[in-house]
Amino acid sequence: MATLVDNPALSEQAVEAIVARYDEPAWLAEERRAALRSYQAQPFPTPRDERWRYTQLKRFALDGLPLVDAPAGPEVSERIRMRITDSDAEGVLVHKGSQVVHREASIAEQGVIFTDLRSALRDHEELVREHLYSVVNAGHGKYAALNAALWQNGTFVYVPRDVEVALPLGAFTSADRGGVGLGRTLVVVGPNAKVTYLDEYTCEPFDEHLFYDAATEIVLADGAKLRYVSLQNWSRNVAHMNTLRAHVGRDARLESLTVSLGADAARAEVECRLDGPGAESEMLGLYFADEGQHFNQYTLQHHAADHAHSDLLFKGALRDASSAVYSGVIVVDPGAQKTDAYQTNRNLLLDADSEAVSIPQLEIGANDVRCSHGSTTGPVPEDQRFYLMSRGLSPEVAEHVLVTGFLYEVMSRVTLPKVAQYVERVVQAKLGVPGVKEKL
Amino acid sequence: MSDTTLEIRNLHARIAGGETILRGVDLVVPRGEVHALMGPNGSGKSTLAKIIAGDPAYEVTDGEILLEGEDVLALEPDERARAGLYLAFQYPVEVPGVSIANFLRLALNARRDEDDEIGVMEFYQKLQRAVAALDWDESILERNLHEGFSGGEKKRSEILQLLVLEPKYAILDETDSGLDVDALKVVAKGVNAARGPEFGALLITHYQRLLNYIVPDRVHVMVQGRVVTEGPKELAMELDQKGYDWVREQVGA
Repeated sequence: MATLVDNPALSEQAVEAIVARYDEPAWLAEERRAALRSYQAQPFPTPRDERWRYTQLKRFALDGLPLVDAPAGPEVSERIRMRITDSDAEGVLVHKGSQVVHREASIAEQGVIFTDLRSALRDHEELVREHLYSVVNAGHGKYAALNAALWQNGTFVYVPRDVEVALPLGAFTSADRGGVGLGRTLVVVGPNAKVTYLDEYTCEPFDEHLFYDAATEIVLADGAKLRYVSLQNWSRNVAHMNTLRAHVGRDARLESLTVSLGADAARAEVECRLDGPGAESEMLGLYFADEGQHFNQYTLQHHAADHAHSDLLFKGALRDASSAVYSGVIVVDPGAQKTDAYQTNRNLLLDADSEAVSIPQLEIGANDVRCSHGSTTGPVPEDQRFYLMSRGLSPEVAEHVLVTGFLYEVMSRVTLPKVAQYVERVVQAKLGVPGVKEKL
Repeated sequence: MSDTTLEIRNLHARIAGGETILRGVDLVVPRGEVHALMGPNGSGKSTLAKIIAGDPAYEVTDGEILLEGEDVLALEPDERARAGLYLAFQYPVEVPGVSIANFLRLALNARRDEDDEIGVMEFYQKLQRAVAALDWDESILERNLHEGFSGGEKKRSEILQLLVLEPKYAILDETDSGLDVDALKVVAKGVNAARGPEFGALLITHYQRLLNYIVPDRVHVMVQGRVVTEGPKELAMELDQKGYDWVREQVGA
């Protein structure tokens, strides 16, 4: 049985080195130390853990890797420059290793903060202190604990009460050397405020192996609205882990999209807790695995309040001996009456060597609720393939049309056209559509 | 035969690994003519249509399908289409996320060299002509392929595609079934628009009704996996009045 082994570089000394280097405040140092103790106390996941049962754990190993610090070089790759130009963003940050290598912001709206976490700690310490670790902390598993103890930098987004940010904000996380990389996102949207924020993970391929451990905390106050996109398109020498959690207040609405396209192996834990009546969470997921990639997604829709609505749709296509695991739970607390919760996972297998496991679950503690879940996994319907080929489309073009059609149910709900176009382009490149180059 | 026909010669076929359906079909459709293929339910008409197009759900055990002298049995469905065959499906599939216009552009470009994609003007002229021939609104071109279409709209889309792709030979598999008279007239108008010296068609139908609007040059009758008789267009009328028992008796089937 595959077991994971600890990495001596992830130590008390490493925590103290970060605290000292950045001259961090005492409260943060204490949080880090506590998180490291929690990390050390928690066992690594094993196949016996229900949430990790079908995960190819070895592909998320972190032993033998140094902690990533500064990047090998400060340059922003051509690839990221193109993504920035294409993104329509009002504010952009580019992270590489522990450094911010590029920033541009022309945010017109009053009081909006969009900066890296280090700068936020210096300039807005009380705000950061109030929210950091409030949604994702050492209690959310071994990898979340590791991030809480050793994160180096990340992004802080704060939108004050009643402010609506017109254009999207985006952070690009890049890399140019191997090791264990740890980044953190904290998004706080005030009462009746509104913003769109994109986290994108991408890099040019390099020789060493990178294990990237991300944590994403989202706080939506009453009436707040956030469109959030997590777009993972690392090169194949990377393993990616992301613990993404949101607390959604009364009448607040979260629209999240989690995209997995790159990396050798990637796991996204996407969780939302609906804390107030009228809270809404749309959770979209899209993945396309090829050439042996392994994608994992664990989702939680936690209805802690009455009259809340959550709607989850994760769809993925697989080929070339790839694998995917989807495991999702809807939890309805006692008293969360009039809950409306839906969960759907669908997988399209483009060849017989690929496999997908889908495990939807419900835990319902209230009696006046509407909940449904469903999953399907299957090959391309032969009648569809035959129809398209009978019009002269080659098998390759027919497959492209069918994959596009399959993913359309998700893509048609993505309200950010630039993001939709980019995802479509990467999918086309993976399918080998002539003239399209975006795959890494 | 000659190199201006679609010829089916002694075709035997079965469901892949299963029941035998075609037991020696012989049939010739010359280019420039429209033929009808009639017959009772279960006689193998739709199976023949799908086998001509290359449906992998069936296995040919004997015989030939000659497209202007070339046997197409070894060709994949897309290769047959590019060689000039077209099947109007009885039950067209729905493909979300692809508009009819984009789908037709892919289909047209599949017939051209990679560095010779169809020009915008030429493409839209083709589409506009086809839409007009079917009394349709151009907005239909932006809808996703058959997504949310009624049965009648799907049949109309099959004819639209035929008009745009301009095949040498088309097989229309019960394109009339489920249509009311108005819809039938529209579909017939589309098929008649395609008629000409460069186009051959085989209309598969149960009913003589369609043949009031698309008058065939010849009528073939299929019973139990074989074409048992054929004749001029009047044969369709006769079948409509007398039913198929009469044919069965005549051929001792």
